[in-house]
Amino acid sequence: MKILTTVKKVVDVELNIHVENGAIMEKGLQYVINAWDENAVEAAVQLKEAHKAETTLVSLGSGDNTDIIRKCYAMGIDNAIHIDDPALAKADSQIFARVLQRVYEAGDYDLVITGKQAQDTDAGQAGIMLGEFLGIPCVSNVIEIKVTDDTHIQVSRLGDAGTEIVDLTLPAVVTVSDSINEPRLPAMRGIMMAKKKKITVMDLAGLGTSFEEVGGTARKSEIVEFMAQEKRKGGRKFEGDPAEITAKVVQLLVNEAKVL
Amino acid sequence: MTNILVVADIKQGALKGSAAELLSKAKALGAKTAAVAVGHKVADLAPQLAAAGSDTQYVVDDPSLELFSAGPFAAAVVEAAKAFSADMVWFGFSETGKAAAPRVAVQLDAACATEIIDAAIDGDNIHIVRPAIANKVLQRVKINAPKLVSVVRAGAFEADPEATGTENVITLDPPEKDPAAAVKELISDAAGEIDLADADIVVSVGRGAKDQTGIDLVKDLADSLAAGFGSSRSMVDAGLMAHNKQVGQTGKIVAPSLYVAVGISGAIQHLAGMNGSKVILAVNKDPEAPIFNVADFGIVGDLFDVIPLLKEEIKKIRA
Repeated sequence: MKILTTVKKVVDVELNIHVENGAIMEKGLQYVINAWDENAVEAAVQLKEAHKAETTLVSLGSGDNTDIIRKCYAMGIDNAIHIDDPALAKADSQIFARVLQRVYEAGDYDLVITGKQAQDTDAGQAGIMLGEFLGIPCVSNVIEIKVTDDTHIQVSRLGDAGTEIVDLTLPAVVTVSDSINEPRLPAMRGIMMAKKKKITVMDLAGLGTSFEEVGGTARKSEIVEFMAQEKRKGGRKFEGDPAEITAKVVQLLVNEAKVL
Repeated sequence: MTNILVVADIKQGALKGSAAELLSKAKALGAKTAAVAVGHKVADLAPQLAAAGSDTQYVVDDPSLELFSAGPFAAAVVEAAKAFSADMVWFGFSETGKAAAPRVAVQLDAACATEIIDAAIDGDNIHIVRPAIANKVLQRVKINAPKLVSVVRAGAFEADPEATGTENVITLDPPEKDPAAAVKELISDAAGEIDLADADIVVSVGRGAKDQTGIDLVKDLADSLAAGFGSSRSMVDAGLMAHNKQVGQTGKIVAPSLYVAVGISGAIQHLAGMNGSKVILAVNKDPEAPIFNVADFGIVGDLFDVIPLLKEEIKKIRA
């Protein structure tokens, strides 16, 4: 089985984000691997260990992604491709999905595993759109993957009414929830080995396509501006005798906030 | 004139509140409105969808749609969107909507925007606003395509009690099954639970509750308030709470009138799922817990002391 996973480099959401004049200030930002993509990588590596799958990861974006790719190598990924093209800085989810489609078609994959969304946009579209563009089945928000045989897997999906069990005929796309696994911390040996591994870097032309061909010149949506989110402020904090402060807070919830 | 099609969220045969919220907003924008109900035994919901503010109700009702499968569900919505000549298709903030919207967008060659909190129509231009980066910033997005498919974030729009519609039911043929993605089984959530998405009060439990005894104590408070019962991620990771209870960036996003965070420290990931709540009450024994930075009211104390007192006080006041 050949598995393709996708990883995105995203802004570290733990840090403060400053917006000025409609743009996010670069100063002080740090970039990390998208947490849900780490779950996707872990899921792929687990399938490799249990079923001898071959794992390839693809990372899209402009700029240096070596650090996050090395981390995935250290976790156990076999091959890595970085589509590095400055045009992708202006891409939306549909364009990313089109690029992933080209990557998929250039290989011979049985299964694509992506994180269910990226922490920077929370869009949750690219993986599902990839399945749609390829005309292959896709199940999103997956919390378990079981291999049935060479051409079938069974996945569990967290849906609105409960857990849905779906039998998928490969090839297929699966987008995973962080509930699926706990990504491993790479061992020192893996980290050392990762440093020696080759990363295949190419631009869109190298992939045999162009920004225009993946819909880039006719993009369907564009971000006009960023705005600071109205920040919630802490209100009143009460310390002291539990019975006294609890009674006080209930009074406030009833008489002032009027929510009880 | 803009045509907006609202996809009804339906759970266990009942219409969720999102349909009325989305239809009210569509009407406020001056749009022509329709709703679509997709599922099994959903035809009876048409009058409710009319009352909620739709002037046309598309119904796709078939036994094959009893278990959710994203492919056929999206195909049914696409048929309704075409029949209505929809300029926009709006989904509620459900796993159904999140799974179907990108598919519908591709099939309609439309733009796709998820988690929107506002939409504005200015002539031929559509702009939407949505949060990003764990709800720390907002993006204003210009839609360049003639059509837009959206998932509307929980709590973004309010239902207008005055909204009215007219009953005009159109039944559409069911979509084909997707043999490559065969939904075998649904392991249902416990029946009779209050849905987090619809609850007016949500009580969530975090690591401070330690074990099942602590969870039971907090659950008891939730039950006494007829509140939805949620969880922080750490309790889910520890196997103490079910996945579907997780409130946060990756789990459920809630915006109730009152959110009660019990023994929850307040990780960014959790805040992203609840900081749209009207009022937040936090109970935590650590006075420095980050949850107090967003809580309107904070009680510093051991939840094992505070929760029974809180329940008693509320009971007293309500008597």
